Amino acid sequence: MDLNDLTIRKFHKGLLNKEFSALEITQAFFGRIEIADKEIGAYLSLSREEAVRQAEKIDIAVSQNKNISVLAGVPLAVKDNILIEGKRVTAASKILESYVASYDATVIKKLKQAEAVFLGKTNLDEFAMGASTENSAFQVTRNPYDKERVPGGSSGGSAAAVASVMALAALGSDTNGSIRQPSSFCGTVGLKPTYGAVSRHGLIALGSSLDQIGPIAKTVEDAAIVFEAISGRDELDSTSVDSSFNFYEPSLEEIRKLKIGLPKEYFLPGIDTVVEKGVQEAIGNFKNLKIEFKEVTLPHTKYAISCYYIILPAEASANLARYDGIRYARLANVPQDSELRKVYFRNKDMGFGPEPKRRLILGAFVLSAGYYDAYYTKAQKVRKLISEDFDRVFEEVDVILTPTTPTRAFKFGEKTDDPLAMYLADVFTSPASLSGLPAISIPVKKYPLGGGELPIGFQLIGRSFREADILGLGQLYEKINR
Amino acid sequence: MAAIINEKILGNLEELARLKLKAEEKEKMLKDLEKILEHFGELKELDTKGILPMVGGTFSKNVFREDKIDKNHLSRESAVKQFPETQGGFLKVPPVFE
Repeated sequence: MDLNDLTIRKFHKGLLNKEFSALEITQAFFGRIEIADKEIGAYLSLSREEAVRQAEKIDIAVSQNKNISVLAGVPLAVKDNILIEGKRVTAASKILESYVASYDATVIKKLKQAEAVFLGKTNLDEFAMGASTENSAFQVTRNPYDKERVPGGSSGGSAAAVASVMALAALGSDTNGSIRQPSSFCGTVGLKPTYGAVSRHGLIALGSSLDQIGPIAKTVEDAAIVFEAISGRDELDSTSVDSSFNFYEPSLEEIRKLKIGLPKEYFLPGIDTVVEKGVQEAIGNFKNLKIEFKEVTLPHTKYAISCYYIILPAEASANLARYDGIRYARLANVPQDSELRKVYFRNKDMGFGPEPKRRLILGAFVLSAGYYDAYYTKAQKVRKLISEDFDRVFEEVDVILTPTTPTRAFKFGEKTDDPLAMYLADVFTSPASLSGLPAISIPVKKYPLGGGELPIGFQLIGRSFREADILGLGQLYEKINR
Repeated sequence: MAAIINEKILGNLEELARLKLKAEEKEKMLKDLEKILEHFGELKELDTKGILPMVGGTFSKNVFREDKIDKNHLSRESAVKQFPETQGGFLKVPPVFE
């Protein structure tokens, strides 16, 4: 049985048919990690003992012909900003280097109930701030398709792990594209749920009005299975909503009735021509099914980046204030001091990398007296305009299709000197985040590892809590693209 | 055109963020921020009169619960176990008062 061919569905069938054991597959993945992760660097930490124990439990249940969930025994990678009780969680930052989680995130609790297996924690940009995983304080993660290129970010470790067959699926988090963009760069499927569809309890907060946890997987079907397991109202996250998503196989008849909008603002010059061609290919594939397309307009698209990079640093500066090197973890080489002020300044200086520092300063600026109205309040109003653009368009169409990113994976260091250039690359994923809408990145086609082609992803954006529409279209796309 | 951000403003922001930047960091920060803030100027093009600020999320709804202690969530032991330094079951911190 080839790990390359495995999906969650196939794994579940194979387990039930006793073609292989959960333990065999888990060990196979760890074997693969031992070989491949030296070069790729997707994982920050592994939990082999627990994973093996969990897999063995599943094998016993199978041998006793007990009912097991579709996710039982499935080996998952988890982004290292999601808490698993008793395991280290660092947010890829020195300031949390020695922190051990004191509770399970709700999504982890749910996956434990489904008896999934956790292989380890994956690398990310520090505190999820970034789009290349280059901002990790600990290690570099390389794109499995080209080791000189970034996997994208901030969920670069999770995307690289799935793409290079070091996990069957993974959890990431998306605040402005951090699941979708690395998925586009690494040829995986990545779903950012509607804001509120998945509990944020146990996710290290970056931007509380934007963050969502979501699946990164090999297929849309796999992403749908994971999404169903992790979504739902949670008492511990009062922004979570019961969206009652039920996994289903879409019928061609139902899905064909969906109208897809193509917003002209996402197809302007400035996109890589290869990306443009790839997305046109995807559109062509849908058109072959006689699905109706319509040109639409989202006039405030270009303002999304300014809007986001005012709001996010403001929220992040509030969320990161708690990291003082006192209450979660101590920094090893910071000298003790009896003066509290000195302790704060020293820990934050040594604990935070350049990108968090930049955003903390920017956040302080947009929230400070004299600037608050011109920047923060203004940005919140622009956010409303961006959201209203979508409301209007969703009166004409059901789903919106766009490129996920303007380029394919870029080389290491290409954008690190120019933070603004890095920020502007988020332009296609940002509006859906600001509007709280569900959005998925799907690879245009299958990209074989070592095949010499860099992956391209297209994005589907749906109405609030209509993950069924974008997952349905995505599953259909996979069927016809086989 | 006058710079939006200067050393004095940066100094104030450092104080607010509890960060003390080194000289080279300060220089780069001023350069980067100036570029970024200049870009934000495009928002002035938009007429937002009468638009209510969007605080995020999908819709506003009050969520209430019973005013009862939930013993199932995080036990005191689990929380205290992870504190870097404890004394008598409390987190030990540097003196807060002079």
